[in-house]
Amino acid sequence: MASFIQNQFERNVVTTSVDYVFNWARKSALWPLTFGLACCAIEMIASSTSRFDIARFGAEVFRPSPRQSDLMIVAGTVTLKMGPVLKRIWDQMPDPKWCISMGACSSVGGPFNTYGVLQGVDKIVPVDVYVTGCPPRPENLFYALLKLQDKIDQMTTLVKRPTEVRLDESMLENFKQQVRIAQINNPA
Amino acid sequence: MAAGANASLVKDGIQTLWVPREEVHEKLRGLKSEYRMLYDLTAIDERDRVHREGEPESDFTAVYHLYSFDRNEYIRIKTPLAESALSLDSITDIWPAADWYEREVWDMFGIQFSGHPHLQRILMPRTWVGHPLRKDHPARATEMGPFQLSEEKEEREQEALRFRPEEWGFERSHDDSDFIFLNLGPQHPGTHGVLRIVLQLDGEAIVHAVPEIGFHHRGAEKMGERQSWHTYIPYTDRVDYLGGVMNNLAYLTALEKLAGVPIPPRAQTIRVMLAELFRIISHLVWYGTFAQDLGQMSPVFYTFNDRERAFGIIEAVCGARMHPNWFRLGGVAQDLPRGWDKLFLDFIDYFPPKLAEYDREVLRNKIFQKRTKGVGVLTTEQAIEWGLTGPNLRACGLEWDFRKKQPYSGYENFEFDIPTGTHGDCYDRAVVRVEEMRQSLRIIEQCVRNMPEGPYKSLHPLATPPLKEHTMEDIETLITHFLGVSWGPVIPPGEALGAIEATKGNNGYYLVSDGSTVSYRTRIRTPSFAHMQALPLQVRGRMIPDLLAVLGAMDFVLADIDR
Ligand code: SF4
Repeated sequence: MASFIQNQFERNVVTTSVDYVFNWARKSALWPLTFGLACCAIEMIASSTSRFDIARFGAEVFRPSPRQSDLMIVAGTVTLKMGPVLKRIWDQMPDPKWCISMGACSSVGGPFNTYGVLQGVDKIVPVDVYVTGCPPRPENLFYALLKLQDKIDQMTTLVKRPTEVRLDESMLENFKQQVRIAQINNPA
Repeated sequence: MAAGANASLVKDGIQTLWVPREEVHEKLRGLKSEYRMLYDLTAIDERDRVHREGEPESDFTAVYHLYSFDRNEYIRIKTPLAESALSLDSITDIWPAADWYEREVWDMFGIQFSGHPHLQRILMPRTWVGHPLRKDHPARATEMGPFQLSEEKEEREQEALRFRPEEWGFERSHDDSDFIFLNLGPQHPGTHGVLRIVLQLDGEAIVHAVPEIGFHHRGAEKMGERQSWHTYIPYTDRVDYLGGVMNNLAYLTALEKLAGVPIPPRAQTIRVMLAELFRIISHLVWYGTFAQDLGQMSPVFYTFNDRERAFGIIEAVCGARMHPNWFRLGGVAQDLPRGWDKLFLDFIDYFPPKLAEYDREVLRNKIFQKRTKGVGVLTTEQAIEWGLTGPNLRACGLEWDFRKKQPYSGYENFEFDIPTGTHGDCYDRAVVRVEEMRQSLRIIEQCVRNMPEGPYKSLHPLATPPLKEHTMEDIETLITHFLGVSWGPVIPPGEALGAIEATKGNNGYYLVSDGSTVSYRTRIRTPSFAHMQALPLQVRGRMIPDLLAVLGAMDFVLADIDR
């Protein structure tokens, strides 16, 4: 969606319906990137085969090219050698895009708290949904997929985003004051 | 001046020679006529070690393992090195397969090999500082400070990954045309994981292929020095992650030699039965994905379905799917559940007709045959020279299976055949694996029908965790149990190699104990490392689609290469 109309409109029947259609289309046809890193990738493959069948959730079109996909399932251990490569692949994916961190390794390093392993892929790319397990069962991945679909449902494309809550000037002054007091050695 | 075998520390009965650094090259050259395969080459950082009775002084020790097919035995050559002179003569002129091993030793320990054609890091990024398997290198990521990937750092890392043909002595052009350098991976569906292969292409023909590995290096060997002997078992599951408990078996074979723990027959049979089921599971993944690599869409759906059935059994027995972490020092974690035999027997009935169906679908498919026959041919000589084992070796026609030749875990009690090929090409590798699944099924059936009664875990004090029923008898057993559970077992000092016929070939663990609750050095010799090194040999002069056929037929797993 061209950025000049993005988040420009007040909330009304037309804009919310358009957003609804956008979100419906986006969430129902996620195209994951074929990107296996380790053991978890085998369970990711298993979830796309007949017993589990990821097609039931509209996400079976695995694309080998990052240019054609909008979902990166980081399935497995991200090593420090692979990290920069992964970052580049993520950067190559067109917006809007999402990221599922599948398994203990990609979420927090998992069993491999070792010199060569990145302790969580969220240090280099933003993660939408984390999946527990080593490896997670395919059902677990599907749960993450449903969560992600819920998340996409909340997206606004046309409608103005709710105004951000900003700190009141006086609150800021108050805070600074507190800091200054805390720094005095002997507050009388 | 070869020192004699050191009986006190060597626990696996392998002849061990200490050879000084100046003579080791000559010694190995002399041994090659007998011991034709360079099985493994690694090193040990000895600086913190306490128990070295009868061994020469050294800061580092290089360890060569050779294997003789004529004698059916290993030999171990150890070379002491002082920290002030950390270099050795490269043996790449004797075994070309030493290339990657020497690079790995350089990468991990910082030992120089003079005369090596291309001594640079292999597993760690080229920007890495330090040598991870040295005792003074941090083991945990949490010891290394917070990680940040700034833009410059990303650029630097990317730059370090750039392939420079000149470094490898490759021409950029010939006659009047340029070569193309094509980068395949590390993200590519055909490489089965994070593997990168740089191809030098003349038109469409491959002139050279340079595999680059290390994108999956998770430091499994270093973890052996941090986890207790018992809590290291889950890590082994994740080495060949398609092989599940097969890895446990390799590790425990070595560990039980060190600990001297006898395994009850029932535990041995349970181990064999589950290991063979995992061989089938691993081969099923290979079967489906290999067919897919060659353009067949459907087989992978069928084979994964069968894999799920097998996983149903694994789940019933172990409670997990891919990484059951089920074998224990001295036996297995628990006895078989009630009704287990029905599950296995059902599978034994179910599976053979499926295999016959896949034969029709895949092996007899004309296109499949055209793509695999005569592709990636290796002779038996070459296979031995490059350290190939398992189905890839047997496809060349050599009937060599460590389950038969050096039986472990009671394999001598089972009847099964060793399928072999004749041409050493991709097609024969496929046929061998398919036939192996039938043989595994035979072994499983024998296990089910003759499952011995008795304990599923040894009563030896080092068996971990000790059986609970025996803890409340007297204070001795209670203390043993408490220590076994809280600290884990203390393994007597020594070293041992335990090697098994894993799903992909010979998988060996070389363990050094310094008499403590953790291993002093854990070396994992994996089949895929050797197989991947032999890749360029098989694809030179061929097309890219052939490369993918060769990769598929090789049946490797990235964690098995990089560890
Ligand atoms: S989370 Fe577990 S299964 Fe997944 S990649 Fe890591 S070690 Fe493998």
